[in-house]
Amino acid sequence: MSIRLEHVSKFYGTQSVVCDVSLTVNSGELFVLLGASGSGKSTLLRLIAGLLPADSGRVWLHNQDVTHLPPQQRETGFVFQQYSLFRHMTVAENIAFGLDVRHVERKQQNKQVQELLDLIGMADFGKRMPSQLSGGQQQRVALARALAYQPRVLLLDEPFGALDVQIRSQLRQSLRAIQQQLGVTTVLVTHDQEEAFELADRIGILSNGTLLEADTPNALYHAPQTRYTATFLGHANIIPAQRNGTQLYLGDYRLPAPPHTEHLANQPVELLCRPEEIDLTHTLEDQRGHVVGQGIVTSIAQAGPSVHVSVILSDHVTQTPLNIVLPPFRQRELALQVGQCVWVRVNSYHVLGGTL
Amino acid sequence: MRDLSPRSPITWALIALVVGYAAVLFGLPIVTVVASAFQKGLDPIIKTFKDSSVQHAIFITFSLAGIAVIVNAAAGLLTAWVLTRHQFPGKRVLDAMVDIPFVFSPVIAGYAMIVLFGRGGWLAPTLFPIVFALPGVLLAKIFVSLPFVTREVQPVLASITPEQEHAAYTMGASRWLTFRRVILPEIRTALLYGLVLTFARAVGEFGAVAVVSGSIQGYTETATSFVFRALNDRNPSGAYSVSLVLMIVSLAILILLNLLKHRLTARKG
Repeated sequence: MSIRLEHVSKFYGTQSVVCDVSLTVNSGELFVLLGASGSGKSTLLRLIAGLLPADSGRVWLHNQDVTHLPPQQRETGFVFQQYSLFRHMTVAENIAFGLDVRHVERKQQNKQVQELLDLIGMADFGKRMPSQLSGGQQQRVALARALAYQPRVLLLDEPFGALDVQIRSQLRQSLRAIQQQLGVTTVLVTHDQEEAFELADRIGILSNGTLLEADTPNALYHAPQTRYTATFLGHANIIPAQRNGTQLYLGDYRLPAPPHTEHLANQPVELLCRPEEIDLTHTLEDQRGHVVGQGIVTSIAQAGPSVHVSVILSDHVTQTPLNIVLPPFRQRELALQVGQCVWVRVNSYHVLGGTL
Repeated sequence: MRDLSPRSPITWALIALVVGYAAVLFGLPIVTVVASAFQKGLDPIIKTFKDSSVQHAIFITFSLAGIAVIVNAAAGLLTAWVLTRHQFPGKRVLDAMVDIPFVFSPVIAGYAMIVLFGRGGWLAPTLFPIVFALPGVLLAKIFVSLPFVTREVQPVLASITPEQEHAAYTMGASRWLTFRRVILPEIRTALLYGLVLTFARAVGEFGAVAVVSGSIQGYTETATSFVFRALNDRNPSGAYSVSLVLMIVSLAILILLNLLKHRLTARKG
């Protein structure tokens, strides 16, 4: 365990920004804290680094209680969203700063700086000033600077937030490569779910200062614990249902209840169906998936490699259209048209407790 | 920047107006002082500088201005720091108050010091006299030159994001090391600019100093006070000679300021 948070809270005045967060990040893991703006994710990162003191709870780094240590003694590497390079120092001097503070010999410093410059693919940029670099290059240097003194953990606060889309995806890939190469335990904060999916070993979902759940991207996408996670990650079709015995009831239609949902028996639940797990047919007799109802096609949109179809279920309480993503060949087979009546079938689904 | 449009007569008239204005107000006085000082050759100048009270006046003018620079460097930096880095009730009032020495008449400031530090004043000193003594001269110089460092450093300090400091902290740098290695190099040029202005103002101040010091010859009389007395005593060569010294210093400062200003803007660009 590289990072352990125990019931950590932070208040600004009476407003709680981080609320009783407990979390463990394993050694070598890249953990992404994902949340909307104002969810407390940056604050949580600063609590780990010691840039803000926690109001309650404990912070452990490598089995050492650092709750009351100042940032200088926590040995973390921190990369900020932007403009954190020292403007009056060259790239090499920036990277060497942490080594200089530790009184590392000059020769050794130069050697390590050059290694880091090679690592970030900027071998010849040592003598440049930050103002002569692009935003992406500056963030690479910031990363090298944070890694120079081999910190116990690497903390990144929306590191790609200020960059163009193209540069962003390049940098993500090199960050992932560098992180895996060095095996450094990393926490990255972002509001971008695509980024989270691309980078994370595990994702923690933060909302209003509370850590709702933490799991692998796949588990969070397909089997979230909370409605917030379900709707925050990708598009979610949510259909109210009832779980009785071994079945789920959606009006007149029945589906087998998934395992481990017994505790939700006899209470209202919600069915989560991802758009790509839904199929449409013209006849009821078709054998694909489980029928959840009949509906009217309200829109069809071609979106490159897939077709986005909206269907409103008849005989259902919710009138929110279902979003369905079909492969183009399916749409051609069906010859779908707006206004058509179709059967809606789900291949895979997940049950959410109704109260969450 | 190059003006590509042809210049109209109005443009020429405006340029001529400003140049003429500058020549009369800034150029002519300089020429006059230099010409007058050398009008009767070098002898009266040498005679003036052999006068021990003149030497003393020049000495205290520059040495006290030097001390004022040191004091205001610390006080001005601290004020700029507090105003940019901290939130507290009355911050805006304090920010506005920094300009008091700019807007107050120095004579009134000097008078206020007499009332405050003089005999029977609220802060009347017990160990050594302030009013009509050298500490009073120093105090007056410090007061009138107080805002320069703060006003020069403040915007530069505000442009340094807290992230830069925080990054230094996480890398293990103490607050002091962070100030020395991260903050100070950023504000150095602005600070120097403020200090040069402080020195210029402290050397040139007359009103506040004259009131609070009593201009006691050979004791609290400063270079500017001497010039004033020499003029009253119909000793023009004395007045012009000392003026010449002050002016040479001022011109040197002016050149220095322009070099610094160039560096300041080069940095920003």
